[in-house]
Amino acid sequence: MNKRQVVLESISALLIMLFLYASVSKFLDFQRFMGEMNNQPLPNSWTPFLVWTIPSLEIAISVALIFERTRMAGFIASLVLMTLFTIYAATILLHFFEYVPCSCGGVIRKLTWPQHLVFNLFFVGLSVTGIILQRRSSSKSIIITKNSFV
Amino acid sequence: MKKIKLSIMTLAIALSIGGAFATSPRVTQDCQGATQYYYNGSVYVLAGKQGIDYLCTTATTVCTYYKVGSTYVPCMNGSYCTSNCKTTTTPPKTKN
Repeated sequence: MNKRQVVLESISALLIMLFLYASVSKFLDFQRFMGEMNNQPLPNSWTPFLVWTIPSLEIAISVALIFERTRMAGFIASLVLMTLFTIYAATILLHFFEYVPCSCGGVIRKLTWPQHLVFNLFFVGLSVTGIILQRRSSSKSIIITKNSFV
Repeated sequence: MKKIKLSIMTLAIALSIGGAFATSPRVTQDCQGATQYYYNGSVYVLAGKQGIDYLCTTATTVCTYYKVGSTYVPCMNGSYCTSNCKTTTTPPKTKN
């Protein structure tokens, strides 16, 4: 296991921990999560859709990050989701809406919005690093495969 | 190499699921004991006393909410009704 692979595995593990923890926490305290979603500046009619879609997506990303074949898709999906959460946190900090309660699972909900923004940016950075390293790792393995035929 | 990878992934999964269970609030109280609010379409207002001021008629929607910190959490199911309510109240819903 070379250094790059160790870093890749560690990034995947951190993202898996984030998404799996957040989704399981939401399902364990589902009623509260529904209440928090109703308090968001989004139409309440979206709540039944969002309360199932967000944790399900988080679980799907975690599963994708476990397997080598689907890891790249997992990193991209993770980047998209974390970017959306970051934009949302930024709009709240820029006072686009009135006070909005956090809708994150578990202890993450205890973060303030500035802390939330930094937290999200860290995971956006991890996803970007994961994509770059995974791409390099894939191209390297293709070169090795090609050379083995020469 | 695969063993190390498997160990990292197993540890990540176990820690996240275990952590979620460890930090989940085990709310065993009956939400009916708390002050009830209803959502009037824009804000949450005090619902009053059930059976006197309002009834939760049979419906699949949320009838009343209670407050946890600054968040309104669903409590009773049904439709919020203050007069000419045709159906009986729904049994209280407790949070586990």
